[in-house]
Amino acid sequence: MSKWLDSAVTRGQAVSDWLSPKRNESLELLKAASWPTRKTEAWKYVPINVWDRADLQAANTEAPVFDAIEGLGSIDLVFVDGQLQSDTIGDLPVGLSVTSIAAASEADQVWAKETFTSVKPARHLFGLVNDVLATAGVLIRVEAGAQIERPVRIVNFVTEGAEAHTRILVSVEDSASAVVIEQCSGTQLSRSTAFAEYRIGESAKLEHYRFALQTGAAMNAGGSHFELATKAELNSTLVGFGSQMSRVDIDVTHAGEYAFAKLNAIYLLDGKELFDLHSTIEHVAANGTTEENVHGIVADNSRAVFNGRIHIHRDAQKTLAELNNRNLLMSNRAEINTKPELEIYADDVRCAHGATIAEIDKKALYYMQSRGVSRAQAQIMLNFGFINELVEQMPNEILADWLRPQLRERFANMEVK
Amino acid sequence: MLSIKNLQASVEEKQILKGLDLDVKPGEVHAIMGPNGAGKSTLGYVLSGREGYSVDGGSASLNGADLLDMEAEERARAGLFLAFQYPVEIPGVSNLEFLKAAVDTQREARSEEKVSSKDFLKMAREACKQVDLPVDFLKRGVNEGFSGGEKKRNEIMQMLLLKPKLCVLDETDSGLDIDALQVVAEGVNSQRSPDRSFIVVTHYQRLLDYIKPDFVHVLSDGKIVRSGDASLALELEAQGYAWLQDQPAADETA
Repeated sequence: MSKWLDSAVTRGQAVSDWLSPKRNESLELLKAASWPTRKTEAWKYVPINVWDRADLQAANTEAPVFDAIEGLGSIDLVFVDGQLQSDTIGDLPVGLSVTSIAAASEADQVWAKETFTSVKPARHLFGLVNDVLATAGVLIRVEAGAQIERPVRIVNFVTEGAEAHTRILVSVEDSASAVVIEQCSGTQLSRSTAFAEYRIGESAKLEHYRFALQTGAAMNAGGSHFELATKAELNSTLVGFGSQMSRVDIDVTHAGEYAFAKLNAIYLLDGKELFDLHSTIEHVAANGTTEENVHGIVADNSRAVFNGRIHIHRDAQKTLAELNNRNLLMSNRAEINTKPELEIYADDVRCAHGATIAEIDKKALYYMQSRGVSRAQAQIMLNFGFINELVEQMPNEILADWLRPQLRERFANMEVK
Repeated sequence: MLSIKNLQASVEEKQILKGLDLDVKPGEVHAIMGPNGAGKSTLGYVLSGREGYSVDGGSASLNGADLLDMEAEERARAGLFLAFQYPVEIPGVSNLEFLKAAVDTQREARSEEKVSSKDFLKMAREACKQVDLPVDFLKRGVNEGFSGGEKKRNEIMQMLLLKPKLCVLDETDSGLDIDALQVVAEGVNSQRSPDRSFIVVTHYQRLLDYIKPDFVHVLSDGKIVRSGDASLALELEAQGYAWLQDQPAADETA
């Protein structure tokens, strides 16, 4: 039993907007759902009762100002505690429509209603909560054939004592392309859920980033969920810092043939932080490709959980799927729980998965020392390199340059301890 | 410059170096040749302080300082450079960042002024050109995805930037085609000077056509069994190393 879950149901009953018919379906599921326990596999390593029991006291602290990322030219939507900070979105490129859920036009409501809860699997408990409570959020539609280079960036900041729920719905129509950035930040005790559903049309392309940067006592559960049509391409990068409780679910469904998904994920944990990443790739249609690379560093007393599932359905012949999770342990109190899962029902597929937990590469350390670099500095450079390997693969260099100093700062702090 | 006396070293309790003596004076180029398993690579690793190589006896000093008592990075800062036979790939750490860190730390150790990023980039670009590596290799991960020849040229580029006093080239010629070999040799030759010395470790005489040694030593079973001038290398090339088995540890120091 969870008092918080009960209250979510109660609050959900009071929500009324154009999404209500769909919200009510989730509300019914939520009423029937039970609060996870230690025996619930999907939540085994997460101190989920912390979420339930946290006594939030609104502190009316101000959120920092989220400046545009220099040189990025993105269309920014900033939510503080679930409130969109500015209603003016500015001029948009032709073929791109961006609107808040509250201000959705009737035309937008049509596709959004169809997309809502149809990409995200119903098994996510916090996803159901988000279905019911997230009245704040963004709808993004890219018209067929439109190539939109300007990224759309959605920032979610949660202040002390607040609870916030935001939702993003994205439709990249056939042969279109788009760049979407989801960013969650916050350091003080708070609860938030942030879920996004993406439909990527035939031969369409999505470049996606999820920066789960909440730290400290800020608790967040969220997910990015993708459905790929024939020949659709997804290139996604996830960066996670841990916090008291931080959980991200990534689901990718290859619904059409010849779809391609590249998923890179990084987590970098320190102190007593926790970060839990669950990814599920559903190869439903044939000839799909998934390349998933997850690199994590866990220091001090922190804990990382990675559960990577690849499910290849009976008709998904000629699937090519690779999942690789590499971890560096920085202290003997840090913990990693990694579990790659392969479930294959087609007989003509190429599939590989692996998980390693290692200490630093001694040969590389010696090589760097032999050039005069101190052992301590070489260690920092190698750790950074291990993460930077995936940062370098980010298609947007400006974002990579924005991210690197934040990662470096994390590493610098790790060294002090 | 370098003075090695009766050096004995082992790896995993197997003795590899069994009393090696070598004296290298400033400006000299010494070639060390010998069959596989003689201890050629071990010598480089022991001098540069690789973990897992334990020194059981003897001494090695660089310009009077006890090398064996230093950490690997201190040896490098003291002026020792080992060009690896198998340079290590470090994905995610850019060549430029690595080189800058190495040069910065060495300059700092020698109380020299720091080089600005802009000036360093200029130096690094020139070094690239000198070893015939495309400039964009500076941006790539250290040795990441480099071919064998590119790795070796990258080693020489590091040497050009670090300006060591004593360079140990560990089979730098292995896996190189003739063009790459010439590039590497030219890089080395450009650095020859009265105050810099080289130890060229090689299995074949070929490299010594391009880098002319002052002395040639034959290393066999952990000891130097014969020393001579450049002509010794030609003799070895003609004879092979089989004669070593018939010969007791001789000492014909030139």
